[in-house]
Amino acid sequence: MLKLRHKTKDTLTAYLFVLPWVIGFLLFTILPIIFMVRTSFTDRKLNGLENFVAWENYIRIFNSKTFRTSFTSTLIFTFGSVIISGTWALTLALLLNIKQKYNRVFQFFYFVPAVIPSIALAYSFRTIFGKDSGLLNGLLENFGLPHEVNWLYDKNTVHFAVFLVVLFTYSTGQMMMIFRNGLNEVPNELYESASIDGASFINNFISITLPMISPIILFNIVMSVIGALNGSFALLFPLVTENGNPDGMTQVLSLLIYKEAFSNMRVGYASALSMILFLLSAVIGIMVFSISKKTVYYEV
Amino acid sequence: MKRRNLTTELSIFFVKLLFSVFMFMPIIWIISGSFKTLNEFTTTYRIIPQFLTLENYEYIFWKSNFLAYVRNTVLLMSLTTIGTLLSSSLVAYPLARINFPGKNMIFGLIIATLMVPEIALIIPKYMLFGEIGWLDSLLPMIIPAWFAHPYNVFLFRQFFRTIPKELDEAASLDGCSRFRAFFSVIAPLAKPIYLTIAVLSSVSWWNELTQPVFYLNSDKWRTLTIATMTSYMYTSGNAFVINWPSIMAISTIMILPPMVLYMSASQFFTEGFKTSGIKG
Repeated sequence: MLKLRHKTKDTLTAYLFVLPWVIGFLLFTILPIIFMVRTSFTDRKLNGLENFVAWENYIRIFNSKTFRTSFTSTLIFTFGSVIISGTWALTLALLLNIKQKYNRVFQFFYFVPAVIPSIALAYSFRTIFGKDSGLLNGLLENFGLPHEVNWLYDKNTVHFAVFLVVLFTYSTGQMMMIFRNGLNEVPNELYESASIDGASFINNFISITLPMISPIILFNIVMSVIGALNGSFALLFPLVTENGNPDGMTQVLSLLIYKEAFSNMRVGYASALSMILFLLSAVIGIMVFSISKKTVYYEV
Repeated sequence: MKRRNLTTELSIFFVKLLFSVFMFMPIIWIISGSFKTLNEFTTTYRIIPQFLTLENYEYIFWKSNFLAYVRNTVLLMSLTTIGTLLSSSLVAYPLARINFPGKNMIFGLIIATLMVPEIALIIPKYMLFGEIGWLDSLLPMIIPAWFAHPYNVFLFRQFFRTIPKELDEAASLDGCSRFRAFFSVIAPLAKPIYLTIAVLSSVSWWNELTQPVFYLNSDKWRTLTIATMTSYMYTSGNAFVINWPSIMAISTIMILPPMVLYMSASQFFTEGFKTSGIKG
């Protein structure tokens, strides 16, 4: 009896502890979702005036070429970022995992771009990619290569330019650190017994390292998908502006949402776009988790 | 492990060095640009400025509301960080310790909200904050931070699980309530994770750009990041001028605190990326 009362009291205490999250969840997640759904069926303007328009926003979205380009850009940017920054982060982590002098110094240089504001990074690269006095063209000129490229405004180079900047973002740095910790946890005996069998570095990597760190790879993929969907705005808004130059090739959904809401003042339409971004992240989330169930090696 | 020969050793070292130069380049570019004149910045790509000038720093200090931007940023950073430390750790505690009905559902929901990108809900939040008159202030960013952040809850929970259960159970049996046990036993033992999250949260709010872009409008509450975007462009005659060297100067000032923090407290950054427990 005493035990039961103790348990009820404990349950109540537990609810009291989680109360801040429950309130925050209702106010700052559920309420906005409801409001977003509702507003997406109106023609609400930035000044708050609105009429109910049923499915009109969604019909307009699916007939809009701008939206289709933006949707494709979002997918390219998200999956491109995940693959490129993931590979880069793993490369850096593997390098740092080779025990040598000054590894701490190297780790500082590899990680420090991740902790600086994205605006500083974006503006740094906007000028590094500059046509006339940019560092990149300057270096190319030094090596006698073509150096009149307008990196961020040329259709052929803009993806290269954007993905190069992605290597310096927080998402990449975070993945590198997580990979480093993960690689350290792989038991050394596994490599030792493999080296008796005469396995090469590549063999070791494929048959030992990758399976052992697969849960960490999954975790990193999840984190970097969110990072790419979320961080796209802070990186691309100052880098390629709300129009996603050139020709909207880099106008990911977050930039389009901003433009519709604040430049075109169509908040209802922007809400419908937000709904699509929200659903897209849900679909990607479910997809990543279900793929991972089949491929990730878990220690039992 | 086999011993590597000297050539391999040196070439690996060289590759590491090369990568370091590459990764540090944008920072060098920012710092070097901050000492250039506008004319030199827009005409050459030299790393070492021809005429070292401090005029960009003078411009920032005297011609813009620099001190207000710093004050706003520090205010935002400290109030959000204190809020998230307190609320996220309180929420994480029962998830790590107490068995109560609905626990798995709550934890599942917290992980699920982790998957929702902030940017997807920012338009409805903008409208709601507008309704209650919070726009153009720091409130839309500070207040939600006091209601627990999913990722921080996750990190706190993982850490609390490593603290032996006997410690706070002993405190509970002593007649200590759960709250007392939390503040007198758990919280002091969890100091490393508090410091880790304090560091990560401070850096992320110091760097935050997206939310200020949406919620802030006038110059009064601008943070450093948004000021960098808006305060150093002007029209001169018919031309639209972006004062790049001033932007590089304010960027230099802006990147120093996180860099120094990382140099002096790198163990807390590393701690935040520990993966033990991801599997569980």
